[in-house]
Amino acid sequence: MKKIAILIAFTAAAARAENVIAIHDATILTITHGKIEHGTVLIRGSKIAAVGPNASVAIPAGAQVIEATGKFVLPGIIDTHSHTAVDGSVNEISLPNTGMVRIRDVLTNEDISAYRQLAGGTTTALVLHGSANPIGGQSQIVKWKWGHPVSEWPVADAPRTIKFALGENPKSSNFRPPPGTPLQYPQTRMGVEEVIRKSFTDARDYMAQWDEYDAAKKKGQNPIPPRRDLLMETMADILRGNIDVHSHCYRSDEIMMLLNISDEMGFKIRELQHVLEGYKVAKEIAAHGVGGGTFIDWWGYKMEAYDAIPYNVALMENAGVVTSVNSDSDELARRLNLDAAKAMKYGGLSEDEALKLCTMNPAKQLRLDHRIGSIDAGKDADLAIWTGHPFSTYSRVDSTFVEGEMVFDRQRDLQLRKDLAKEKADRLKKEADDEAKKKKDAKKPEDKNE
Amino acid sequence: MSRRSVCFVALFLLAAPLWAEAPGVFAITGGTVHPVSGAAIPNGVVIIRGGLIESVGANLAIPADATVIDAKGGHVYPGLIDAGTSFGFASAAPRRRGFGGGGGAPAPATPPPAEPTAASLAVREVKLSDDDLEAKRATGVTTVLTAPSSGIFNGQSAILNLGEGSTESRVIRAAATQQVSFNPRAAWTYPDSLMGVISYIKQGFLDAQQNAAALAIYNQNPAGNKRPDQSASADALAAVVRRDVPVVFVADSELMMRRAMAIGNEFKLRYVLSGARQAYRMADELKASGIPVLVSVKWPVAPTSKEDREEQPLRVIRDRQLAPTSPAALVKSGATFALVSGAGKSGDFLPGIRKAIENGLSADDALRATTLSPARIFGVDRQLGSLEKGKIANIVISDKPIFEEKAKVTHVLIDGRETKLGTPPSGAGGASPLDGTWRMTVKSSTGDVSITATLHVEDSRVTGTYSGDRGSGDIRNGSFDGTVEFTIAAKSETESNDWVFHGTVSGTGMTGTVSTTLGTFQFSGSKGQ
Repeated sequence: MKKIAILIAFTAAAARAENVIAIHDATILTITHGKIEHGTVLIRGSKIAAVGPNASVAIPAGAQVIEATGKFVLPGIIDTHSHTAVDGSVNEISLPNTGMVRIRDVLTNEDISAYRQLAGGTTTALVLHGSANPIGGQSQIVKWKWGHPVSEWPVADAPRTIKFALGENPKSSNFRPPPGTPLQYPQTRMGVEEVIRKSFTDARDYMAQWDEYDAAKKKGQNPIPPRRDLLMETMADILRGNIDVHSHCYRSDEIMMLLNISDEMGFKIRELQHVLEGYKVAKEIAAHGVGGGTFIDWWGYKMEAYDAIPYNVALMENAGVVTSVNSDSDELARRLNLDAAKAMKYGGLSEDEALKLCTMNPAKQLRLDHRIGSIDAGKDADLAIWTGHPFSTYSRVDSTFVEGEMVFDRQRDLQLRKDLAKEKADRLKKEADDEAKKKKDAKKPEDKNE
Repeated sequence: MSRRSVCFVALFLLAAPLWAEAPGVFAITGGTVHPVSGAAIPNGVVIIRGGLIESVGANLAIPADATVIDAKGGHVYPGLIDAGTSFGFASAAPRRRGFGGGGGAPAPATPPPAEPTAASLAVREVKLSDDDLEAKRATGVTTVLTAPSSGIFNGQSAILNLGEGSTESRVIRAAATQQVSFNPRAAWTYPDSLMGVISYIKQGFLDAQQNAAALAIYNQNPAGNKRPDQSASADALAAVVRRDVPVVFVADSELMMRRAMAIGNEFKLRYVLSGARQAYRMADELKASGIPVLVSVKWPVAPTSKEDREEQPLRVIRDRQLAPTSPAALVKSGATFALVSGAGKSGDFLPGIRKAIENGLSADDALRATTLSPARIFGVDRQLGSLEKGKIANIVISDKPIFEEKAKVTHVLIDGRETKLGTPPSGAGGASPLDGTWRMTVKSSTGDVSITATLHVEDSRVTGTYSGDRGSGDIRNGSFDGTVEFTIAAKSETESNDWVFHGTVSGTGMTGTVSTTLGTFQFSGSKGQ
């Protein structure tokens, strides 16, 4: 008996050390295998160890049990269009192609928006370069690991990505450099296409130079090495399939242009961003195996956004395009669940299909669906506990987990707000007191001298 | 304090100009001598001959030919080394692109100096005025490491003694370091973003590697190979990549320091971090990495009014209060560091060091961090940094311990010569009409945007913070020369983009324009109490 007690104590201690959490008796929206009522999710370490009806999931002794009766569990929401947590400008605006620059180099873990997104159940984002030029910088897939060093935010084995942009932004339709600065090429949609084609043509030349060099080396010669050019390296890596292209676009004609140029040049578009006219060419997009990340009901904010319709999501999804709703906004990123819900009204997607718009589908677009996007054993424990169904405007997030760690909790947050307010008041008071004392001290000797 | 042999020296001055130029023989007596390399010597003696220290100790015989400097009751130190300055360089005014100050004011008559390159030599470009030298000496500084703060590759810094004479005679080291700053260029000029700057720096080092490799192959076998370009910048950076010359990365915050470290480690550079305001957050890590740190004592300043302070996020307040604990944290961790004044004029050097002492740094450690430590970091400790036989006679005498608030520097000897002292430049809270907290309204295309900025001017360089409708942070590229110019990273719902303000100040009002990626807008502002 004693032995058993020790054994239990031991396993209990091990469970604690190992981070074992059971979310018990919740309604689990698994995404891949339907809704489980009165279900349990078992988290071990950073992964989901088991999921199923309460009776089928054994909770190990020592596990931290979160009673979630009446609550909902949804996988962490994935936002494939974010500009959160970037230090400095998100646009390197100076050249038509700035593929050498990397968002990864300027991520910051001090942007409060990341934490606010966790409070909305969003755990993963594709942080993109801006759309001021046809080929922008390299983007970065991150998880909002609030409280961790920023070096831990990028998803280590995620694909590398880059931002392309078509239409009004890269041809500077709606902004101008200050007087005295020459207009930036390109100024037309033709020019945008030319920049992209020329960039890949240059990249082929660049790769040939290196091939020639490598061949000469192999023959035992000692040739002068070509210049290692960070921009051309990027373009070459796109051609080699090492970097996924996510392209900002609006109009159907320019979407077709990009699909054609990708065929011509031999690279892959992974996701069309915004893609407000995607419904017009949905079959063609689907045939290219390209995803679409769009807004459900944002339109008319510029000329190229006038032909948008809220049915775009459902029409693309039904045509076989892997479709997601994404944010392009620190604020909208906190409530993508509600944008997904709207696709049930506009176009009649089923609840399961609509839920996928902010979970499994963006996971596929990021080629991370083996790790995130659903609640399945073996996947990353990225999920949120909601007070009700995430499609209700009355529901809110109780707590959010990223790789098994609770990174947001409403109760803890309420306490933190008090603590931080107190720290601020204390610090300001101390500062004021110190200054008053200094003033007084500075006066004293003068008084004596007089 | 009295002096013998004055007539004797005067005689020589009249007799032979060449002899008058030669440094003489001095005996500093009666003061507490702080050699830094050893324990303090009460009532110690320092003997100087021919510009060098001849001996240091107690009860030394005074040579018959020595001029005696009586330091009774005072303190004797090695000259302070300020190893992070832009002394002798105009402030880092951002380049204008023909759209001068606010309201279409004409471009300044004398265009700002061209941006330096990696090949630039500070020792050639530096402009030292007597006023600046005298003021700097009055803060106890006898030696500086200086480079311009503008541009990205700021060029090769110089270590200079601040004595009287030609620039050539002042040089301790002509190409001491390559200095790199993360300054984006004006919008629409590559690189105009921080991420662009990082790529630009990396490409610079890659090109230097490639150029060196290409030249080596070509020189071995010129026939049949294309002749590589010759580039002074690539040469300068090749010396860095070979680890012959260390890099000084100017990086203030933890994130910027980490970004600099990533580059330094990727290219296996010998490097130093300068600025290091948030070193308190990573003191142990800096110790473990062995990377020397130059902590700038230009500490962040609080807004003057109570309500402006209350508006600031805790993060900003906390950082402002913890930054001056960085030196003490570095002592505790055992990391190698020096205290420096940072870019711009350096009137705040002694008050800034005092603030670090108030925040836990001992006076002894402060002294070491301004003498022997910087000398070691830059490999000039055989000549400088302590009072030891054979070292250069850079000596400072003060009436009270030098870091005390009421201390006055009474004598400064550089290369064994007495030098003229000026008045130390006044510290913070100068009389610039720009100093203070400004409430500004920008008439943007999407409506009024409110931004509050707390600005501080020093030597026409503007620093400060902003907060309001477009997020908060440090202002960048600030300058003030009649017209004010500065940049903020304006964060909107969707994107963060640089907003460049150009304005003119009249009394407590400011008006001008803001250049953004969305167009140029008018703004106006007023200064609080």
